Amino acid sequence: MLEKGKISALQMTVLLYPTITATAILVLPATTGNFAKQDMWLSPIWASIFGYLSVFIAYLLHHYYPQKTLIQFSEKIVGVIPGKLISFGFLFFLLHTNGLNLRDYGEFVIGNFLPKTPMIVIILSMAFVCAITVYGGLEVMARASQFFFPVFVVLFLFIIILLVPVLNPENIFPILGEGLTPSLKGALIPSQWFNEFILISFFLPYLNRNGKGLKWGIIAVTLVMITLVISNLFSLLLFGDLTPFFTYPFMDAARYISIADFLQHVESIIMALWVTGMFIKISVFYYAVVIGVAQWLDLTNYRPIVFPIGFLLVVVSIWSTPSLQKLIDFSGTTWPFYAFLFQMLIPISLLFIAIIRKKRSK
Amino acid sequence: MHLLRTNILLRTILICLLLLVLNGCWDRVEINDLAIVMGIGLDKTEEGDIELSVQIANPKAMAGSGSSGGQSSGNPIVVETVTGRTIFDARSKLQESLSRQLFEGHNRVIFISKALAEEGIQKHIDFFARFPSPRLRANIFIVDSKVIDILKVPSDFELNSSEVARELAKLKIGMNITTKDLLEQLANESSSIALPSITVEDKPVGTKGLRVNGSAIIKENKMVGEIDNALSRGVLWLRDEIKLSSVTLEPENTEGYISFKLLRSSTDLSPTIKNGKWKMVVNITTEDDVVENETNLDVLDPKITDKLEKQLEQKVTERIQKTLDYVQKEIGADVFGFGEAFYRKFPKQWNKEKDMWAEKFPELEVEINCKAYIRRPGRSNIPQGTQKEEGVKK
Repeated sequence: MLEKGKISALQMTVLLYPTITATAILVLPATTGNFAKQDMWLSPIWASIFGYLSVFIAYLLHHYYPQKTLIQFSEKIVGVIPGKLISFGFLFFLLHTNGLNLRDYGEFVIGNFLPKTPMIVIILSMAFVCAITVYGGLEVMARASQFFFPVFVVLFLFIIILLVPVLNPENIFPILGEGLTPSLKGALIPSQWFNEFILISFFLPYLNRNGKGLKWGIIAVTLVMITLVISNLFSLLLFGDLTPFFTYPFMDAARYISIADFLQHVESIIMALWVTGMFIKISVFYYAVVIGVAQWLDLTNYRPIVFPIGFLLVVVSIWSTPSLQKLIDFSGTTWPFYAFLFQMLIPISLLFIAIIRKKRSK
Repeated sequence: MHLLRTNILLRTILICLLLLVLNGCWDRVEINDLAIVMGIGLDKTEEGDIELSVQIANPKAMAGSGSSGGQSSGNPIVVETVTGRTIFDARSKLQESLSRQLFEGHNRVIFISKALAEEGIQKHIDFFARFPSPRLRANIFIVDSKVIDILKVPSDFELNSSEVARELAKLKIGMNITTKDLLEQLANESSSIALPSITVEDKPVGTKGLRVNGSAIIKENKMVGEIDNALSRGVLWLRDEIKLSSVTLEPENTEGYISFKLLRSSTDLSPTIKNGKWKMVVNITTEDDVVENETNLDVLDPKITDKLEKQLEQKVTERIQKTLDYVQKEIGADVFGFGEAFYRKFPKQWNKEKDMWAEKFPELEVEINCKAYIRRPGRSNIPQGTQKEEGVKK
């Protein structure tokens, strides 16, 4: 087997939680607010259904093909050549999405904190750190995120608590004033972020005790959902109808904090939150690509391809978009469908074919 | 073993070398290369350009005044002014004459001149929500004279006049509006906003100072009117933002006045729609203390207190009605959030009729229900200096 490490179900949860939350926390209030207005806090709840679905699909597939990741069992399910093709598409999608994640990270850091630092420096240094983590293997990655997860949560709670005095609870009304439609529309884009939970397929085979995977996967989805509801709700209560006007509403919310005239200018906390979260997110995607490519090529060791793939990752992130405007446009229009194809349609079709095959063989 | 040790040594050196690149060289800015902006003023020139004035902290003078016991080595603030097409255009020109980089991260106040506000303010606010350094918490004021005069005023207690203005806003004597609040209102086409107005006044000792001077009403992005402090107070009552208030009554059948100090108050807007008729019911509950009693009334007597409560209610209602008469009926600016209250309670009807709101609002029926409680008489009961029997008057 390629990966000799074993992780616990809890470690899997702390790996998956920042993977979804990191980007979503900052951008989600703006994307959902655009459609859902004052119902934006409901959107993550609807969107999370896709998260549960993804975990469930991955778990069932894992149940049929234990010890195998999506890349491996797709060959078993639809045959070698189609399987390889599907896997290639899936791996390309992961690499591309991760490139966009990396770019997202760079854009935020440059746009808000380090305007004169070249993009390549920020992206390269992050890619390098992630490469070392992935090179260290699954256990190292899991321990790192186990270490960063509490930091992430504590910093998030810190911001949330400091925001309480400036909130205007009236902004939440009217709840469902225009029916369910706006909040469902708002859920469209985040639903694809929740679908990223299909990555759980790369961790389930390496759990030290099987059987707990489903439970902790569901816990992870629930935690992400709660976090996103909170970040949306707090942005809404602070900014009201103004929320979708900002690129990073949660960032502007943190900048608004001022307690007793001295506890203020705490936006560097958001930066810390973002860097820790993005580090785990990029590492998880990166790891999935590396292990996937190694399995796709039937390599005996994945380590030699870590750095070459890291190079590809940096290239993709630099070349995939010329500006933040194009990046936002792409992630709001093309990406959800693109992601839906790979994260939802393909796994669910694989599952159906697998079920039919199992029934026939009996 | 030996190999392992050199390996560790090598690694340690490598890690130490990493520290050299960890300090973010490109964006490093030393604090003594920054011109920290404390207040920004926006005015317009006759040609229609923007006149940007900035108040910059002078750290040298600030440090001097602390250590040498009040003797400052120069003016604690530097005021600069420059014109340009946009705010950033003017800012760039200003930078040409400054030895330090302008930094708005600590800017807490934005003064906008009346002349500019009458032409529209929305386009000038964008800069403060887009440029990286300014904060959305900066207070906004309207100034009826030249903005630069406000920035030049030396201050007594605070470091500079911007800080004075901000503290005045914080006391809630007038409106307290931040950039965020202004943006929120501008984004909502059916509502208007009252911005605090501030002015320079001559002090008795010959120096100058700042004074809250009512509010400016901004409707559809343009300044359309001004109200004085008393009317602004009415706006605060209706918006449930009142913190400091004193009410002075002249009770019936006696001479002199009684003054009350507001302890707490809450205003609840409850809109109703009956048979297509829109009505706003304003429920106000206020708690006050007696702080001065010129009359010979015994404020300890519950019967008298009841009467006083009635008069207090009347007085508050009267004040609010005055504000409504002017702001609602004459200017027709919804600075009270009535439209929002309707939207929150009746979203469907609101969406159908929101285009009509501008015509509907001035004719809207408003019912004010005020309930006042006088909780305690203060440190004395009957008027000080009178005799017990005389004081007891029903």
